[in-house]
Order: sequence, then structure tokens, then C-alpha cells
Amino acid sequence: MTHVKLTVQRFDPFRDAKPRMVEYAIPPREGMTVLDALLYARDYLDHSIALRFSCRQASCGSCGMKINGRPRLACYTQVAELGGDKVVAQPMDNFAIIKDLVTDLESFFARHKEMMPHLIRADTGEMENPSAEYLMKPEELEKMLQFTYCIKCGLCTSSCPTVATDPDFPGPQALAQAYRYAMDPRDEGGEKRLELVDGTHGVWRCHFAGSCSYVCPKGVDPALGIQLLKRHVMSGKAPHEEGAKVFAASVPQK
Amino acid sequence: MKESRLMLIQYATAVAAVALVSVHLIMQGVIYPYATAISFNNILSVYKNGFYAIFLEALLVVVLVHGFNGVRIILQEIRQTKPWSQMVDAGTVVAIIVTVAYGTRTVILAVFGAVSPA
Repeated sequence: MTHVKLTVQRFDPFRDAKPRMVEYAIPPREGMTVLDALLYARDYLDHSIALRFSCRQASCGSCGMKINGRPRLACYTQVAELGGDKVVAQPMDNFAIIKDLVTDLESFFARHKEMMPHLIRADTGEMENPSAEYLMKPEELEKMLQFTYCIKCGLCTSSCPTVATDPDFPGPQALAQAYRYAMDPRDEGGEKRLELVDGTHGVWRCHFAGSCSYVCPKGVDPALGIQLLKRHVMSGKAPHEEGAKVFAASVPQK
Repeated sequence: MKESRLMLIQYATAVAAVALVSVHLIMQGVIYPYATAISFNNILSVYKNGFYAIFLEALLVVVLVHGFNGVRIILQEIRQTKPWSQMVDAGTVVAIIVTVAYGTRTVILAVFGAVSPA
């Protein structure tokens, strides 16, 4: 392979009527990621390419984009693994384009915030000044652990067919986080979250396509979280309604 | 009504419909040959059996509730405005009431012999 053919979707909503595809020839090197290729193109071939990135190690979730038709992290996708010399980089679907590969994630984070992604407890004094370390059993942690790995890259939401057709649907990331906090044995806000997602455009609009789980770069299974959330919504009982009280009583005193 | 209750109804009617429609098809296509089963006189005679009349009424209600609730779900996903949502919900309730009432009327007329054999 003498060159990697990198095709980037270019679009500036203030100047362009529609997106256009621009091709760049990138000299390959061993272990080159799509982000490396994009940065080469931006640094040496066209300074006007807009892309978002930060950590370069699949931790920050900034460089989510559609690569060869599939939502992926550019920093976590090697050119070699795409099986050819052609790389097509496009912005994520289901989000407005700010410029080129940069999408507007404002609504995505707003949905996340709506799910109250923090511990809710009645004993705020204890929360602010804990009297002891809050412990939990390994089996309790296991129920929610994978959902804590979410880096909020937006790939799951960009691949979701329901988000594409129903803008009021919270999306897999937000719903999986609602499940994650509802399952936390330290949390007492499960009931509020269950009510929040039990609307016309809530958790029930998930048709279990499973594309969210398929594209997650961190191995999280948001589709599973949503189905488990449905079970709790159906029963009307927060998983830790009683559990949180028991947990609070079990906190060892100093 | 909460969406979870409506979905519970949807799932329950789906399970019930599988059972009821299966029995219905067995009776109409296996126990009675299909050509005989759908003759006008045979259908009227079926309603004379009280058990089967109740069975058909249950089938009517289950299938209509499941079908219209399913259409409601599809329509709710098309638009996200509150007036549309309320219109779809109200339309679904009206459609279920009207069609169940009309179907029940047919069942009652047939059961009480208000429909004459051909």
C-alpha cells in the first residue's frame, strides 16, 4: 500500500448547500489510526478540516464519527483493520453538523442530564459528609459495572434507528445511564427515574435493534440496560427502593 | 394511563391473541373444512353455541385492542407534539370502542337469532 485514500465528508452549514466528499492521499505507517490519518490530512494537506479529538486512547469519547459506514472512535480504529486502503470519514448520524466531522452533542448531554446521573439520597448530610466508606457487594456492582464504562461518545445514539425517527426518545446512552443509577445500591432515586422514562417517547420506544450495543467501543451493552430498565418500569418498583435503606443501615459507623 | 400499563396491555393481548387465534384457526380450518366453516349458515350456527360466542367476543376484543394499540404506538413515533399525541390517544380509544361495539352488536344479533339463515 503506497497511500491510504482518505475521503472526508466536508460541510460548513454557513457556506455549503450540501455536504461534499474530498479525497486525500495519506502515506501509511504501521499502527496508523484513522485519527492519525485525519490529523496528517489536517496538518499537511488541508488546514480547514474540522474534527474533534482529545485523549487519543478511547477514554474521552471526543472523536466519534462514521468510519466506512459504521460509527466508531477514530482514535480506536486502525486503518489496517478496515481491510483495505480506503477510509471514508463522515460525521455521526442523528446529530446536527457543526462543521465537517464535528457534530453538535448538546441535545445528547441534555438527555444524559435529564436522567439525573448522580446518586439521589434523602440523607443529604450523610452524602456531603459521609460518616464512613460506602461499600457494596461484588454482585451488586456487577449489575451496573459495564454501564459505568460509558464514555459518552454518542456512537450508540448515532446508530439508534429510534433516535433517527423520534427526536424525543432519550436514546440508548441516557436510558442505559438511568438503569445504571437505578441499580446503584447507594441510590434512592430509582422511582423518579422510572417515572421519567415511562412516557410516550420513553423507554418503550426502544425496538431492540441492538445497534447501540454493536457499535459501543467500550463493550457496554446499552440495549441490555434498556430491556432490564423496561422490566423495572413494568413492575413499577425501583430496584433498590428497599435495598438503599438496608444499605444505609449497613454503612459501618466510625 | 402510564405507557408501561399500555405496553402491559399490548403484551397481554399479544399472548392472548396467539392462543385465541390458534384455537380459532384450528376450529375453522382443521376441525371443520375451511369451505364449510365459512358458509353463512355454519357461521350462524356457531354463535348458537354459548361458549364459542363468548370465545369469539373475546377474540374480537383482544385483537382490536392489540391492533389499535399497535397502530397508536406507530403513530406516536411519527410526530412528537402534544396535540398529536393526545389526538392519537383519543382516536385509539374511540376506534376501539366503536369497532368493539359494532362487532359485539353482530355477535349479539347472531346469538339471539336476529339474523336469518340464508
